[in-house]
Amino acid sequence: MRDEHIKRMLDEAPLSSLGKAELEGVRAHAEGCADCRSAFEAARGASSMLRARAAEAFEPPPFFQTRVLAQLRERRAAEEGWTLARLWKTAGLLVSSMAATVAALAVFTFVAPQQEVNAQDLGGPYTAESVLLDESDAADGQMTEGQVFTTLYESDEDSAR
Amino acid sequence: MRRHGPRVFRTASKFFRRREQVEEAAQEIFLKAFTQLDAYEARGSFEGWLTRIATNTCLNLLRSAKRRPELTASDLSEDESAWLENNLAGAAAERQQSAERGMVAADLAERVLEKMSPDDRLVLMLMDGEEASVKEVSEATGWSESNVKVKAMRARRRMREAVEKLLSRGAKRGDKDFVNAGGFESSESEGGR
Repeated sequence: MRDEHIKRMLDEAPLSSLGKAELEGVRAHAEGCADCRSAFEAARGASSMLRARAAEAFEPPPFFQTRVLAQLRERRAAEEGWTLARLWKTAGLLVSSMAATVAALAVFTFVAPQQEVNAQDLGGPYTAESVLLDESDAADGQMTEGQVFTTLYESDEDSAR
Repeated sequence: MRRHGPRVFRTASKFFRRREQVEEAAQEIFLKAFTQLDAYEARGSFEGWLTRIATNTCLNLLRSAKRRPELTASDLSEDESAWLENNLAGAAAERQQSAERGMVAADLAERVLEKMSPDDRLVLMLMDGEEASVKEVSEATGWSESNVKVKAMRARRRMREAVEKLLSRGAKRGDKDFVNAGGFESSESEGGR
């Protein structure tokens, strides 16, 4: 033991578990080694402190059981509430996505065709009907009524001559 | 709960010192035990299963709490400094018998322990404080026995170094009796293996 330091021995097992012979060896070494002596003193102090601390314990207070059971009921109720809320949320999501789908379908069914007709009205490609019935477009390149009559009468007069 | 309450409170008392903290931890332990009751397989003892839940719950509660910075000699109260001095002067064996002395020692232990990690605290309290075996600690925590041994060795070294530091600072402060007062008388429980 003289040439061996004792710190490892102090750390390996609780001081209280050392046998008499081991303890004597530790003391003998510590007397001649200042470093190990302070380590031994600290280990002994630590051991006493820990035993004193471990001896302390509280007893359950009265009504502890009632409090725990009340807490347990509260937690279970909260968990159930949470599950319901989650279910409700999921159902809400499902319903709202269905409503969105129905709305989208309605838009495609009723609004989109009208938009197509309007697009034609606003200057789409010419159709036979529009060309025949629409007078406004044709007006640009045609004669006025007066000019038509004048032309007609002139041609009649020319033929009479 | 009436039957296992004292055991759960004893376990929680090793981790926490204030009564309200101990009660809070004990309540959490029982709530966990109730909710995990389905997971209990009647292979081992119910006490062992409950102790394991208690130990792990307390460890987690401690882990979630913020650790305080290192303890210094100037943080110690007069009583705590005096206890250290007397203990190291070898006069502690008799004086420790009084409840007051024991309380000061426990205060001091708590102040050192609260600077340490929850794992260190656990192994020190169980093995050095309560003289639990490696196997018992292994069963209570779920750690392997070799892991318990390694953790215990490291924790003891840290505790010893922390106390040594306090002592050397105390000695530097001028308490000459601190170290060199022939403090080699064993306390009563030493020498038991």
